[in-house]
Amino acid sequence: MAELLTSKKLAIKVVLCLAVLAVVMGFCALKGTEKISLTKVFAGPGENTDYDIFVGVRLPRIILAALVGAALACSGVALQAILRNPLADPYILGISSGAGLGVIIAILSGISWSFWGGSPMAVFAFAGSLATVWLVWYVGRFAGKSQVTSLLLAGVVVNAFFSAVIMFLTSVANSQQLRATIYWLMGNITEKDWSVLLISAACILAGITGLFTICHRLNVLSFGEEQAKKLGVNTERTRVLAFGFAAFITAIAVSLSGLIGFVGLIIPHAVRLVFGPDHRQLLPLSAITGSTFLVIADTLARTVFGQEQLPVGVITAIAGGPFFLVLLARYSRKVSWLK
Amino acid sequence: MSGIIKVENLSFGYTPQNTILKNLSFEVVPGAFVGIAGPNGAGKTTLLNLLCGLLSSDAGSIRIAAADIDSYSVKELARKAAVVASEFVPVFDFTVEETVMMGRTPYLGTFGFESEADRQIAVEALNATDTGHFASRPLGSLSSGERQRVFIARALAQNADILLLDEPTSFLDLKHQVGIYDLLKATQVEKGKTIVTVTHDINLAAQYCDKILLLGADGTYEYGCAGDIFSPEQIKKVFGVRVFVGKVGREKFFIPLGKFSKDSRQISEKANNDGPAGTLP
Repeated sequence: MAELLTSKKLAIKVVLCLAVLAVVMGFCALKGTEKISLTKVFAGPGENTDYDIFVGVRLPRIILAALVGAALACSGVALQAILRNPLADPYILGISSGAGLGVIIAILSGISWSFWGGSPMAVFAFAGSLATVWLVWYVGRFAGKSQVTSLLLAGVVVNAFFSAVIMFLTSVANSQQLRATIYWLMGNITEKDWSVLLISAACILAGITGLFTICHRLNVLSFGEEQAKKLGVNTERTRVLAFGFAAFITAIAVSLSGLIGFVGLIIPHAVRLVFGPDHRQLLPLSAITGSTFLVIADTLARTVFGQEQLPVGVITAIAGGPFFLVLLARYSRKVSWLK
Repeated sequence: MSGIIKVENLSFGYTPQNTILKNLSFEVVPGAFVGIAGPNGAGKTTLLNLLCGLLSSDAGSIRIAAADIDSYSVKELARKAAVVASEFVPVFDFTVEETVMMGRTPYLGTFGFESEADRQIAVEALNATDTGHFASRPLGSLSSGERQRVFIARALAQNADILLLDEPTSFLDLKHQVGIYDLLKATQVEKGKTIVTVTHDINLAAQYCDKILLLGADGTYEYGCAGDIFSPEQIKKVFGVRVFVGKVGREKFFIPLGKFSKDSRQISEKANNDGPAGTLP
């Protein structure tokens, strides 16, 4: 029984991974079109351009990327578990199209008020995602006996319907509005205020902590509803909690940065391939790996083409795909040295 | 001694027009080994699902350890009764030890980490079922016999007084069938567990079970010692099949004989001539 997870082993792995994340974040914050040096940054504020760029521009953006990466990866873990479907990702139940619809309505209507520091796009995206999730959950619950299948079906149908509405609306939009919409749909990380960051960080961390408390139940739930019940798990409650927390953190991530694809799908798989399927370990390590991955991807997005910035969603798909295939080939026969 | 499982006037149907269990009453004493037999559709698995709280009855009551089954929470019930059914293997590759460890789920706290004591119980369960030597293999790579033993190990790790099993030997070869029943008997005798198993194999049931609950397809039932319940007449009545009956020592054995069985006619003639040990109704 040497290989079994204990809280101590997990703590060590989490600390190691956090250290890697911190190094990556620090390194990425120094990279950019404007060259800055670490010694100058440490000189502190006041007449110090390097410090202003580091603290005022780079750091918030990098922290944002880390938050979004963690949220998407954790949401993917939770949804793959409750849907018992390895193809599930944070957007599978229609969150993407709901948020997209919210954003395009915000852009077309030209609303300009803001809420808690969030832009109208962010507010509409958040509202759109939560409304869609509620709709899918509501329809899925009453659609049939096999909840998993009816949830998935409801998600697919709602997704298809809202996508059609989005296409209709984009076809009547003017080119300026169109560009803003498409950039958002591709997933785009931009500089945000510290106040927005703090609120989002609190919400996302709370959501991830909530998910962490049900991780051992997710383990049992991946054996199916009946077995989980026989092992003393309140499956209904577990699923509501997992679904609720996942939807909440995804909605925040989406309202912050648009539809960044791929992170929520491949990060849980990558971590599972290396560390095994135990959710108590999979969730925290996926959060940290997701953060690291998105920080690197965003740094590439803002540096590869000099002044011209790419949407980070393009980078996650282009870099993430091949990386994941290599990992799959390497680990599909289980290696035990990292477990 | 009062029953650890007490079923009174239990009725259940999946639709109101079609009740499959009617006015069923029986009692299982602590430490007994009970077999539930009967034809397909008689409600054997349904009864098991009622006993573990997956289904709830239309009428009548089930008492587990002297308390009504509805008074237990899902978690509390899982500490009283562990279930082994035809188990689904998940897409994610959990190992044998991880799976057995999940038997401790009803005892875990908020963050769900096992204590050293939990670990010890899981090791004992692995050893008792002889699954320890492939503990680190993924579940998907096991044979059906090995996997069945792993699920029994998980049920043992649950540390419940009652063990409910649904056809634990289906798809297993002779050696593994006997192996599973020996394992169940050992847990009954050594650990004092109460075992209730659904089975299609009346010969194994006769050899291992103390009591038999024979459910008929028409809602009738018989409950008693294996020797009394399994008679050629009963089997003919409940299963609608002629059987050849023999006796090894204490218990009878039964060979079902269909219309075109090789020995079908031979046995009939023999029975007519001298009516020996082997008889047909």
